Amino acid sequence: MTVILPLLFLLTAVSGTAVVLVRDPTRQIFAIAINGLVLTILFDALQAPDVALSELAVGSAAVPLLFLVALMAVRTQAPGEES
Amino acid sequence: MSVLPYAVAAWLFGVGLYGIATSRNFIHLVGCLGVCQSATYVLLLGLGYRWGSIAPIFYDHPPGTPAVDPVMQALVLTDIVVGATLTALLLVLTVQAYKRGGSLDPEKLRPMRAGGKSGQRQDAGHTSGRVSEGGRKAS
Amino acid sequence: MSPRIRVALLALSGLILLPCAAQVIAGLPAFGSTIAQYGERINAITPEARHVANMVSAINFDLRGLDTLGEEFMLLAAITGTVVLLRGRRGEGNSERAMRRPGRAVIPRSEATVLACRIAGPLTGLFGLYVVLHATVTPGGGFQGGVILASGTLLIYLGEGYAGWRDAIRSHWLDALEGGGALLFALCGLAPMLVGAAFMQNILPLGTFRDLFSGGLMPVENLGVALAVAGGFTQLFLEFMEETREAEEPDEPGEETA
Repeated sequence: MTVILPLLFLLTAVSGTAVVLVRDPTRQIFAIAINGLVLTILFDALQAPDVALSELAVGSAAVPLLFLVALMAVRTQAPGEES
Repeated sequence: MSVLPYAVAAWLFGVGLYGIATSRNFIHLVGCLGVCQSATYVLLLGLGYRWGSIAPIFYDHPPGTPAVDPVMQALVLTDIVVGATLTALLLVLTVQAYKRGGSLDPEKLRPMRAGGKSGQRQDAGHTSGRVSEGGRKAS
Repeated sequence: MSPRIRVALLALSGLILLPCAAQVIAGLPAFGSTIAQYGERINAITPEARHVANMVSAINFDLRGLDTLGEEFMLLAAITGTVVLLRGRRGEGNSERAMRRPGRAVIPRSEATVLACRIAGPLTGLFGLYVVLHATVTPGGGFQGGVILASGTLLIYLGEGYAGWRDAIRSHWLDALEGGGALLFALCGLAPMLVGAAFMQNILPLGTFRDLFSGGLMPVENLGVALAVAGGFTQLFLEFMEETREAEEPDEPGEETA
């Protein structure tokens, strides 16, 4: 455990940074989902199974889906035609 | 090692803020806000951890076994779920801003005027607050 | 403000705040050395006092139940805001039929997808129920189980298509589920007052430790949270999806005001 936890913390920092640095929203959704997964593993390693379960359902399924649909909604609206 | 989790939390918050400040797309911006949020999860759970402790669930282990702090976990648990609904709210605002402004770029967002284009304005009674600005534009 | 000035401002504030953050981090207890006294006491006392095995659920639904009530209504408010914003334009009377956007290609589903979704869908629902019901014994609870249940319905979307999914979940039951869950939680707080106890005091029999229905009032509150979260998230998914599905129709000028 003494080695795994620091590695997981560093991995969290890296995946969080990736979410910020991926500028294209379509690709960012994947980064968000991966970030959610990394956080899930970290929380489980921190002896927080309840939180891990919650993050797994929310962070890697529900939130990326909401982003995806929001992106779809933006794409289907022709820009500016209604303003 | 003893400060690594806190440093990671601070880094996540900082990098999220950087993303928010430099973002050119509202959807990307909401994602950066999520990174800021995850910093609080990492900080709280890092504060509640103790080496060699079990999860605070005394099903397999008898009560009295050293366990990690359940208060932090309860905090983070509700935070995650409520945070997701707030993300949804922000995304909806993003879509609405796009419909009105025609752009997802915060730089190009014009101040909202009452009733959109001039000539299509509703009567001023329904739109309090921004009326003076809208009226100025219309005239 | 130009982007360059903004980044410069951010860097400046970061430079100022960095020493403060370092100071705070240095003042925190070393990672993994100790935990707060409050959590320690809860771990020591609660299994005996409340007959539940899962401390996180015990805090959420009993010890700090009032906070969860607040969270619950935050959830309700956020979802209501989202629905109001989305429906504000479409109007309350959603059309009965699922709409398609003209001109979008129809991609046929493979039989394998349909089969996989039909197998995985009920299993996901079952798993969600399991997580909800075992709140007081094993990891899980209304928050997690509710999200799993809501995400599970999306498998119907994958397997049966949009119209099938919409028919399956779109009803007034959904609205009732979300509000009713929050109401159930609030009633759990008020009911003990009828018999002269304090708000949200655990007056039901506590049951046996490690039993499914241990914890007295907790499983009821947990059910309320599960209903609210499952209903709320399904509602969110539905309203978001509707947004991408609208048939093209001319907007009445001036209809969408701030």
